[in-house]
Amino acid sequence: MTTLNELMLLLQAGFVQRAFIVGLIVAVLSSILSVFIVLKRVSLIGDGLSHTAFGGLALGYYLDIVPLWVAAVVVVLGSLGITRAIRSTRISSDAAVAVFLQLGLSSGIVLISLARGFGISIESLLFGSILLVNLDQIIIASVILVGVLGVIFLFYKELVYTTFSETQARASGVQTWFFDYLVAILAGVVVIAAIPIVGVLLISALLVLPALTSIQIGKSFKQTIIMSPIFGIASAFLGLFVSLIFDIASGATIVLMAMAIFVAVLGAKRVSAR
Amino acid sequence: MDLNLGANQPIVELENVRVDYPGGVQAIDKVNLEIFEKDLIGLIGPNGAGKSTLLGVILGLIKPNHGSVRLFGEALKPKNLRLIGYVPQKAQLIDTSFPATVDETVLLGRVPGAGLFHRLNKEDHLRAEEAMKILGIDGLKERRIGQLSGGQFQRVFIAKAIVDKPKLLILDEPTTGVDSLSKSEFYHTLSHLNRDLGITILLSSHDIGIVTKLANKIACINRTLYFCGPTSEFETSSALSKLYDYPAGLMTHDHP
Repeated sequence: MTTLNELMLLLQAGFVQRAFIVGLIVAVLSSILSVFIVLKRVSLIGDGLSHTAFGGLALGYYLDIVPLWVAAVVVVLGSLGITRAIRSTRISSDAAVAVFLQLGLSSGIVLISLARGFGISIESLLFGSILLVNLDQIIIASVILVGVLGVIFLFYKELVYTTFSETQARASGVQTWFFDYLVAILAGVVVIAAIPIVGVLLISALLVLPALTSIQIGKSFKQTIIMSPIFGIASAFLGLFVSLIFDIASGATIVLMAMAIFVAVLGAKRVSAR
Repeated sequence: MDLNLGANQPIVELENVRVDYPGGVQAIDKVNLEIFEKDLIGLIGPNGAGKSTLLGVILGLIKPNHGSVRLFGEALKPKNLRLIGYVPQKAQLIDTSFPATVDETVLLGRVPGAGLFHRLNKEDHLRAEEAMKILGIDGLKERRIGQLSGGQFQRVFIAKAIVDKPKLLILDEPTTGVDSLSKSEFYHTLSHLNRDLGITILLSSHDIGIVTKLANKIACINRTLYFCGPTSEFETSSALSKLYDYPAGLMTHDHP
């Protein structure tokens, strides 16, 4: 366990400060989007997309082209495919997501075994390495943050209506197909931004838990979407602190923290309802 | 919006409409229907007769396999759909755990009309206020919709459907699961919307007794439309006795 003195020193270190900054960015991104994802009942889309991204990253390393860009292209294609499958009435949406998840994961593993030793660790892909984030990654994440929030701001009312009821929105002339695809693509972009930080396995948790927590106590949609990033940021910061103190895996600790907050809020709600 | 409709031009025209379910079973077939301004039409028929399918076709939710749909004298397009308010079947309204308040829900009815990139403004909030007053739910506007009673819940969705001043209001089985007191209040509200605000109304129901008291026109469907005309004609026509030939759970206890 880290002593208080050591912790203070750590917090002054550049790599720790960068971790907090990027943690903040990813938390805000994922938790705002998570409100739409959870309420649209496509909570597993983050899982599907992150495993698709895993396949994309492996393909990038295999082809020896900038892996993150290859993964970005693969994920955007994947989000289009998943949405198409979800919107189709022939396949149930959970099965559609499962197919993409399995396709991404298995093709990623095959590509990795084809070319042993990409010079990167699979573990860092799966779990991320928030403490190794560099300035370029922070800049990219900031640009993505501004872009994603800008798009959500522009289409806010249509996104809310489509999320509320796709059928009712469509029956009143809203082009809901566009907003379904938009949410999936935004989720894909967030997944790509977050993989270096929390990894393939955990980003999907950040695309679900903050919203799930705020939906429990939000008195309105507005309150829900404002509280979600607060829970997200709290998870990221507390998780980072705890992982530094106990010297344990940061990404996983952040996700566990998000779950702890969810359980605490659920418990508090039960108690106050009595 | 100026509709440029002649006095006798229907606002909804279905011509020879057929909808097939996957597997080739026909949900509805050879349906011809005209709805005129100020009509209050009751669409009746047994469960599974194709009532919701027919409404879905008018709302652009279901694409007919054959035939044509015209709204307000034009081919069906998003712009025309904005002139229709829609209240789905209770079961399909929405998940009650959705974290929206009453006024947030009613305001959603203003979204399509506001247009892309425009934020909802003061005018939209005033209209929402008005609609909530008409439905008598203005005292509930801060409530989360999950905390409402069945009758209140339905009023919220009607307020949402009329908040953009639609020309036509479509309600699918609005009385299912609503107690009889709320039911009579509810029909009172509908005739107010129709008579005083001039909104054309199309509602589906399997409750023939109440619908014939309320509607000025009746449309009978069982896969095809076999009667469509004034309520008085319906009551003396053979359509009613035809309905008795379809024993699929029609509620006719209000009738001799």
